[in-house]
Amino acid sequence: MELLNVDNITMQFGGLTAVSNFKLKITPGELIGLIGPNGAGKTTIFNMITGIYTPTINKIFFQDQDITGIKPDKIAKVGIARTFQNIRLLDNLSVIDNVMIGFHLHLKSNLTSAILKFPNYVREEESIYHKSMELLEKVELEKFKKEKAGSLPYGQQRKLEIVRALATGPKLLLLDEPAAGMNPQETKDLMSFIQKIQDDFNLTILLIEHDMKVVMGICQRILVLDYGITIAEGNPVAIQNNPEVIKAYLGVDANYA
Amino acid sequence: MKKNNGKLYTIIALIVLAILVYFAEKNLDAYNLRILNLGAIYVTLGVSLNLIFGFTGQFSLGHAGFMAVGAYVTALLVLPPWYKEMIYILEPLVWPFTVMHTPFIVALFLSGVFAAIAALLIGLPVLRLKGDYLGIATLGFAEIIRIIANNIPQITNGALGIKGIPEFTNLWWTIGVAVVTIYIIKGLINSSYGRALMAIRENEIAAEVIGVNLTYHKVMSFTISAFFAGVAGGLFACLLTTIDPKAFMFIMTFNILIVVVLGGIGSITGTVIAAFLFNISLEYLRPIEAGFNIGPIVIPAIPGLRMVTFAALLLIVILYKQNGLMGGIEFSWNGVSRFFQRLFSNNKSSEGGAI
Repeated sequence: MELLNVDNITMQFGGLTAVSNFKLKITPGELIGLIGPNGAGKTTIFNMITGIYTPTINKIFFQDQDITGIKPDKIAKVGIARTFQNIRLLDNLSVIDNVMIGFHLHLKSNLTSAILKFPNYVREEESIYHKSMELLEKVELEKFKKEKAGSLPYGQQRKLEIVRALATGPKLLLLDEPAAGMNPQETKDLMSFIQKIQDDFNLTILLIEHDMKVVMGICQRILVLDYGITIAEGNPVAIQNNPEVIKAYLGVDANYA
Repeated sequence: MKKNNGKLYTIIALIVLAILVYFAEKNLDAYNLRILNLGAIYVTLGVSLNLIFGFTGQFSLGHAGFMAVGAYVTALLVLPPWYKEMIYILEPLVWPFTVMHTPFIVALFLSGVFAAIAALLIGLPVLRLKGDYLGIATLGFAEIIRIIANNIPQITNGALGIKGIPEFTNLWWTIGVAVVTIYIIKGLINSSYGRALMAIRENEIAAEVIGVNLTYHKVMSFTISAFFAGVAGGLFACLLTTIDPKAFMFIMTFNILIVVVLGGIGSITGTVIAAFLFNISLEYLRPIEAGFNIGPIVIPAIPGLRMVTFAALLLIVILYKQNGLMGGIEFSWNGVSRFFQRLFSNNKSSEGGAI
């Protein structure tokens, strides 16, 4: 059974078709790359999967459940987490709070016990505090736990955002350009980090990335998007030699190159 | 410092506060008591507005409306039936209100409940809006409440207002309600629910994608905020002993907003300080309205010059000290002890020791 089944969706904004007839089936445990030139519609696809947009035509299924048009918080609940291309942290809150909010879905205490700090609430907070610290330790951010998230360096913010997504306990993780703005060493660390969390958390990962080293290095399957249309799909070697892909990226016919 | 110590200090501080209230009630004249009472009511109003505006990031300008709901509910509940029959001369009072008569504390609680119900009804559709649009919609709501109050004399006695409300409000009530408000709202903010509210303030989309139900949390924050505004409205009615729709014009919301912005958006401590500063200086600035001279320049008597002063002060804060008096910093016993330690170590360092 596939984990995610994106069934031929189309997204139109007025007269503009951002994504047309996009198909994607992901089986559990895969690590799939989504690439394409700027404006190809990659982030729009993420936005549709996470409920920020509703596809104009056709549906998205997650574990055979129709998730088209349901709200982002409900989609988080079924087990899809994501990061953003332009990092969206809670800048004025502490690093630890940024991770603890990730556990929001798993909280059970009611409002009264939270306000009056009943023992069951205090226990729950302590337990998610420790879980958050464990996650922070994985990315070596534990020493910054009291810093404001907005004051962290760019690369650390990216890591923090991934950790926050992990805290929601997802089955499918969508990463939107995780290596953007990182130097080669940081990128290398990130690649091994992504593979590590995939194993540790039993994740299925779909990632958008411009850094070809990342995509070719860790993805088992790659989809190439151009002007909202899937122009190629296959393993890294096949993609690298696909004339359509070269044309989309370099703008010339492969024969001239 | 250990956490338990903080609790102990809080209890001691509350006892000291109670003693101060006792002596204030005994020794201060009616004029100064009125200022302190208003200050404490503004604490309740400011802290509750800070919950929705400062911590949840929703720009709500409906506080005067919720206050009005609370004030009318309290007035209708604490007045004895025979008296209500006497003052409703435009139109007779309609049924359930003619017979209802409750103690002050029940009236205050129901004031909060009715304001909260109003917030629930208005919040569900309106909290989809963001920023300025939400501000305008909630402002519109507050104006609608006021105009309704003006036009249903069967319940509100119309523009005549309700007079002769028993003066139940004293410092025990106003300070007591303020303390309870701070306790509950601070408890909410420092909880997992508060974290979700602040997540909404910081980044709505991020909060939603993490799994925070935006509608539920916004409406919850709005409703709790309105509850305390309603209770404050009840206290207000029993302090002034007379209410009419004009008492709940936009200027009321604006005053509360001044308190919140001056004190620091998102700082309860700041709101408390600003609430008292605002009310005390509002009174002590009265002389400037009578006209005065700055050297050779003669400033004539201009009614309303006090408010101009506050508008100027607000501009200065917005331009030069965006974070307000406290800048989002909260009072804590740990903070106090750190402050004294710093003072102490500074003295030492001036004698040549290392810090």
